[in-house]
Amino acid sequence: MKRLLLAAALLACTAPAFAGSFAGTTGGATSAGTSASSGSSSGDDKLVLAARDDAALFVASDGAIRGARLEAALRQLRERDAAAREASDLDLARAILARR
Amino acid sequence: MRGRFRASCLAGLLACTAAAAAQPRVAVDGEGLSPAEQAATRELVAAAMARLPPRIADGLGREVALRWRDDLPEQVHGRARNGRIGLDRRLLAGWMARDPADDRDPGTRIALATLLHELAHVFDRSPAGGLSRDPRLLDLAGWPVRPLRLGLRTGRNDFRDRSPDPYELASPAEFLAVNLEHFLLDPEYACRRPDLHRYFVARLGTPPSARGADCDGALPLVAAGNEGAGLQLLAVDPARVAGVDYLLAEADASPMSRWGHGMLRLVVCAPGRAPGPDCRLDLEHHLVLSFRAFVDEVQVSNWRGLTGGYPSRLFVLPLARVVDEYTRVELRGLRSVPLRLAPEEVARLLERAARVHWSYDGRYRFVGNNCAVEAWKLLNDALPGRDGPRLRSITPSGLLRRLERAGIADASVLDDEAEALRLGHRFDSLSRHFGGMYAVASAELGLPARDADAWLRLDPAVRGEWLERGGLRATAALLVLEEAALRQEQARARETLRRRYRRGGDGDGRIQALLQALWSDGAGAGRPAALLPGSGYGLPQDDERGLLAARVPDTDARLRAAQAGLYDAALAWLPERQRGRLRATEENLERIGERLRALAATAPD
Repeated sequence: MKRLLLAAALLACTAPAFAGSFAGTTGGATSAGTSASSGSSSGDDKLVLAARDDAALFVASDGAIRGARLEAALRQLRERDAAAREASDLDLARAILARR
Repeated sequence: MRGRFRASCLAGLLACTAAAAAQPRVAVDGEGLSPAEQAATRELVAAAMARLPPRIADGLGREVALRWRDDLPEQVHGRARNGRIGLDRRLLAGWMARDPADDRDPGTRIALATLLHELAHVFDRSPAGGLSRDPRLLDLAGWPVRPLRLGLRTGRNDFRDRSPDPYELASPAEFLAVNLEHFLLDPEYACRRPDLHRYFVARLGTPPSARGADCDGALPLVAAGNEGAGLQLLAVDPARVAGVDYLLAEADASPMSRWGHGMLRLVVCAPGRAPGPDCRLDLEHHLVLSFRAFVDEVQVSNWRGLTGGYPSRLFVLPLARVVDEYTRVELRGLRSVPLRLAPEEVARLLERAARVHWSYDGRYRFVGNNCAVEAWKLLNDALPGRDGPRLRSITPSGLLRRLERAGIADASVLDDEAEALRLGHRFDSLSRHFGGMYAVASAELGLPARDADAWLRLDPAVRGEWLERGGLRATAALLVLEEAALRQEQARARETLRRRYRRGGDGDGRIQALLQALWSDGAGAGRPAALLPGSGYGLPQDDERGLLAARVPDTDARLRAAQAGLYDAALAWLPERQRGRLRATEENLERIGERLRALAATAPD
């Protein structure tokens, strides 16, 4: 995938943040190392993939930094999967980090 | 409807005139008219009077004289002066030739609409009228009070798109007359302009000929795609929106964001979830309403920003995209403060937002019409009971303070910082954590840089040597930092490209062409009316929604293709060294990803 949205780059394409700059709109700058490119990710996976930054902060801070995206992903994983209900937050955050 | 009415008229002209006589009469000046023409004119008057809600009919006051004229200027169908109405005589022929069975017959429609239009003027000027001076109507119509101008209103109406008749923008009086035509004649008015329909019903009563409008409750919105350039068509049912937050992007040092940016966040519930507090975490369904300048050039011009040189439009964006844009790219934090609104108020707010979305094409002014002013107008126009004038502010943070003071915004959700972060009332700038992440990684690995900033500035190849040595915590920390490094490389690349572009454009004009393509298609994101040229007015209804369902994906595909092309062209245009750094940083991220997977597979617990 075009992780690097240079395109959004040169310009402020569809929704330029005037108050911003040419930051571009990098909604697509999904977490690195993921191949969000695969195109196979369903809407549900999107939530989990979007939680990757939050999961990294959570794991690196040993649970101290707990963002809403991680919280949402944890809830979703547990709503869908009985095994996830047994797992600890940290386990699930690690699993999110390991996703591709 | 019309057929039945006409039949009853013919059956008893007397009855009709008697009914009309009970109301203030419209006296027809029959001079020069044949008996058939006189009869047709009386039918027209009766048809018009039958459409008037009692409050208008009673308000007309003294007798209104009606005359057919052939001396009106071209393009003018009718005129009302001093309680006398003159109509273009050519309309009479059309009226007499109408198909009585077809109430959409153009001859029927135009004569009746013209007479109603002129009666609306007479009513508006009567003591019972005056609607065109009502501040509430002026707000709804699009002549807002200007900030810093002692309550003076704008002279120009910027609700230009998807107008039923551009003449409505000429003045508040014409706005009233044109809209009453549609209110009284068009069964779809309630669905196309629900906010105005509600206003007229409240002020004038339901028109006698009203059919129960069966509007689709879900509002059509054309939102930016989830990533990159792109569009998506959404149908947002207000009943599925659990609440609305004021979303404030904190200020940063750059001149245009010193005041922060104010937006509204719609807490849309995931399908199947009952609206309530649990919807807070349905982040992937939340939407952001953001007024922004549409900048169709590579360099933002302060001058154009100050003087209204850019369009100001309401963009609908997925929340995830907004969070990325601010917290990862611009490195600014977000605060999301719930507004205490009743479900009915949420629905009114969405309805108004939809009207702005489909019709508004304003001018951005850095001081007088910025995002805070626009957001205030939206709240003020949608929530008339909330004492809008007291809330007005020209800065995003000022607006939030006033909303708090008025008890509308509930900032107590921010008191507990950890909880606010967990529930998405705060989204921290990622830069807040760079130091901490570096400390975690360095404690384990003994990294060579002095601090996080120095680490990020290192050559990616140097950083790369450290990426596959750490345990889970250190590697997770390195992931956060490496992503930041990538975004810094991207920012530098953008800056290089922008300078190159401004210096001399691109050799073969390819980039210019791609940019133009993105801007013209991209306009659909803030000005969706461009996707439905020449069709109906107001909120799109059934047929138009069908068209949108076909056109939005087409435009989306074109945008994506243009963006991909631009990406390739821009990448090829970068100096080799920068391209190399970008690639190396991306490779670093791949390696961190692999490392994390390997660590997770062997995790002890």
